[in-house]
Amino acid sequence: MTFEEAQQELETIVQRLESGEAPLDEALKLWERGEELYRFCKERLDGAEGKIEELASRAEAAKP
Amino acid sequence: MKVEAIEYGDRKVYSVGAFNRGVASWLQRLPTVWVEGEVTELRRSDRWASVFFTLKDPQDGSCLGVSIARGQFDALRLELADGDRVHAYGRPELFEARGEFRLRALSLERFGLGDHLAALERLKTKLAGEGLFAAERKRPLPLLPARIGLVTGNDAAAKRDVLTAVTTRFPPANVLVAETYVQGPRAAGAVVEALGALCRESVDVIVVARGGGSFEDLLPFSDERLVRAIADCPVPVVSAVGHEQDTPLCDLAADVRASTPSVAGRLVVPDLAQLLERLGRSRAGLERGARRSLERERRRLVTTHERLVRAPRLLLERRRAKLEQSAGRLRALSPKATLERGYAIVRAGDELVRSGRAVATGERVEVELADGGFGARVEETR
Repeated sequence: MTFEEAQQELETIVQRLESGEAPLDEALKLWERGEELYRFCKERLDGAEGKIEELASRAEAAKP
Repeated sequence: MKVEAIEYGDRKVYSVGAFNRGVASWLQRLPTVWVEGEVTELRRSDRWASVFFTLKDPQDGSCLGVSIARGQFDALRLELADGDRVHAYGRPELFEARGEFRLRALSLERFGLGDHLAALERLKTKLAGEGLFAAERKRPLPLLPARIGLVTGNDAAAKRDVLTAVTTRFPPANVLVAETYVQGPRAAGAVVEALGALCRESVDVIVVARGGGSFEDLLPFSDERLVRAIADCPVPVVSAVGHEQDTPLCDLAADVRASTPSVAGRLVVPDLAQLLERLGRSRAGLERGARRSLERERRRLVTTHERLVRAPRLLLERRRAKLEQSAGRLRALSPKATLERGYAIVRAGDELVRSGRAVATGERVEVELADGGFGARVEETR
């Protein structure tokens, strides 16, 4: 799943929940799924360490 | 020209001079042609009868030595510098003393800006005809690229601008930089190679950045190979080459054109702060939504329970009311109520008396009232 897909699904879930149309069972399932998606997105943003590399030095390093 | 060979038995052997003369005379039979290339290594001396330079093919770097009579060269007043594009009119020639092959130029013309523009316009029309610049070919940029490829020169400005813009907006960005030639005859090929190398490193998007420069400086970015490589690149390409007013053909083939390297940098990454805020809002909505569902279910349960509690009493009351109603109707129908209003029931023997003709004068009748009764005798009948 890409970040975009996760974000999209999360926002769809929020809309469904906020509409108040979901029965309780579904609402709880949606909420659980939403939390999962939220954690996924958050980790993508927090987890990544910024990195700037030079292709040339990479190629150099790849040589035996 | 007759070329003499020495015979050793059945083997014909030529001296170097004879061989060169032979080849030279054969070459002279070739026609006079125009050759286009870039001037390098121009050597001119007042002591020499000829001026020498090397013509270089900007596409593949092939070289060709050229000589031209000094008088002729000076008369043209071309004031050539390294890298200038020229058309040389001449024929192939072998410099016999050294066995060196070259073009003996009879005339030389600078291939000017106008020619470049015309060539560019032709290429543009051709590539546009193939649909290389079509809007429906343009791909959207990924919202959150895992890795960004950057093709740039080793000159600081363009590279620094892209990197600064990227890391300011999105600190966790991952950028792979391919430094390459962005000017001169090797640039187009080098950029094509860099694009391929970055794709092999599985980047999600590529920025091609080069600061402003002269028209000639930017020419490699209109090179057909480079333009095609950008159009065929498996991942989206953002082109930030030259200034706003320059439109090298690579800009047209790229998926997105950025006016400056900084703009390109901002285009390829999302704003982290905004993204976090949006994510935060989603999460708040998630909690609010779930709580709302829960609250509504709770309220529904309370209402249902109240109805459940009320149900038996309601039933009892309903029955009681029904009973009262029945009793009322029963009372209404009883003769007692009629007697209360002042009526009387008259019986003769066991029979109810409903007609004056049913009794005879002097007959005894029993009269029943609401309260008690009495016996009586009939005085007269009517």
